[in-house]
Amino acid sequence: MIETLRSKGAGNPLKCIQCGSCTSTCPVNLIRDGFNPRRIVGSIARFNRIPDQDPWLCSTCSLCSERCPQGVNPFSIIMALREVLYENNGEAPASILKMVEQVKETGLAFPFTPGSVEKRRLLGLPEAGVSSEGLREIRRILSEAGFK
Amino acid sequence: MSLTLYLGCVIRTVHPEVEKAVKETLSRIGVSFVEQPEASCCAPCWFFSLSREAWLRLNERNMRLLNSTVVTACDDCFASLSDAFTILAERKSVKPPEVKPFQALLLERLREVKPRLGFTGLRCAVQHSCRFLRSSGRSLDNPEDPKIVKSVLEMLGFLPVSYERELDCCGGFVSDEKISGEMARLKAGSAEEAGADCIVATCSHCMLRLNPVSRIPVLHLAQLSAFSLGSDPVQIGFPETLRRRMVKR
Repeated sequence: MIETLRSKGAGNPLKCIQCGSCTSTCPVNLIRDGFNPRRIVGSIARFNRIPDQDPWLCSTCSLCSERCPQGVNPFSIIMALREVLYENNGEAPASILKMVEQVKETGLAFPFTPGSVEKRRLLGLPEAGVSSEGLREIRRILSEAGFK
Repeated sequence: MSLTLYLGCVIRTVHPEVEKAVKETLSRIGVSFVEQPEASCCAPCWFFSLSREAWLRLNERNMRLLNSTVVTACDDCFASLSDAFTILAERKSVKPPEVKPFQALLLERLREVKPRLGFTGLRCAVQHSCRFLRSSGRSLDNPEDPKIVKSVLEMLGFLPVSYERELDCCGGFVSDEKISGEMARLKAGSAEEAGADCIVATCSHCMLRLNPVSRIPVLHLAQLSAFSLGSDPVQIGFPETLRRRMVKR
């Protein structure tokens, strides 16, 4: 488990001394104390297993990594954990998967709407968007990276 | 000075008035730029946490297309492009293209250009985005006491205000709407309590998160800079309510 996470850019959970600086600074933990970066890292370091917490509750603010005295980088561990869960079970929020679909469709994560197209025209902004050749390349990249 | 302007997804598809404001600002501070419509989404944290490989490969393509100094108008794009370009360049033992956030470029140019400003006033609460402030290696500002956006606002004639939750995350990427909304409401409420007339962001995702919950307008820094430098307020989406609060010099 630890090696898999490390191969996906995670910091080293074995350096964690369980001081709790990450959790005490986590803005999500202030609102929902069930989300606890210290326990996430601890569960991986001590038991080498996937923690029983939803990594998608992380706000990705990186304060935990900024304030960690050991340089563990809990943020990177949580990001790698998401990737492992997605690879193992396809687990990810529907809103996120929708944005991936959008990138496949247009190269951008958000769609142009009739309103935004008209607004762009009124403001004299150029037509924006990736060409069909560019889209083919983007779809090939996503497909080779495992996105169906 | 010639740059490649990378606007990202949200500004182009949701906030064309911000795109207009960015372009007006750059023209008015003497920065010429080109665009690269073939560049894709920067695949920020929500994407790279699904597939680091896809994130790197999409940005390998972007790096090929954006081969001069890149200026970003969204801090999510700044972070994603600069992190990916650094890793990709290390793999190939080449120098990565420089990625510069709009606010840093603006600060540099305002120090040189010293433009004549038409208005003064307006109390602004800065939304310092997490992507701009944190993650070691590329931080351009002090994450515990950020100054860059505030300095830009002062140079443009605005009044930055400090507020209790100034360094807090807006909650934009929390997947649970209740938690995310609560974080955004606390943040926007704190800015309003401090007497701010508006919230000023440099990240389009912070704008998307704060806009629906804030009782005071949430603007991109470019909308304030373009207004201050003389652009048509209607075209750049600068609200009438804020214009009335400003004093002509």
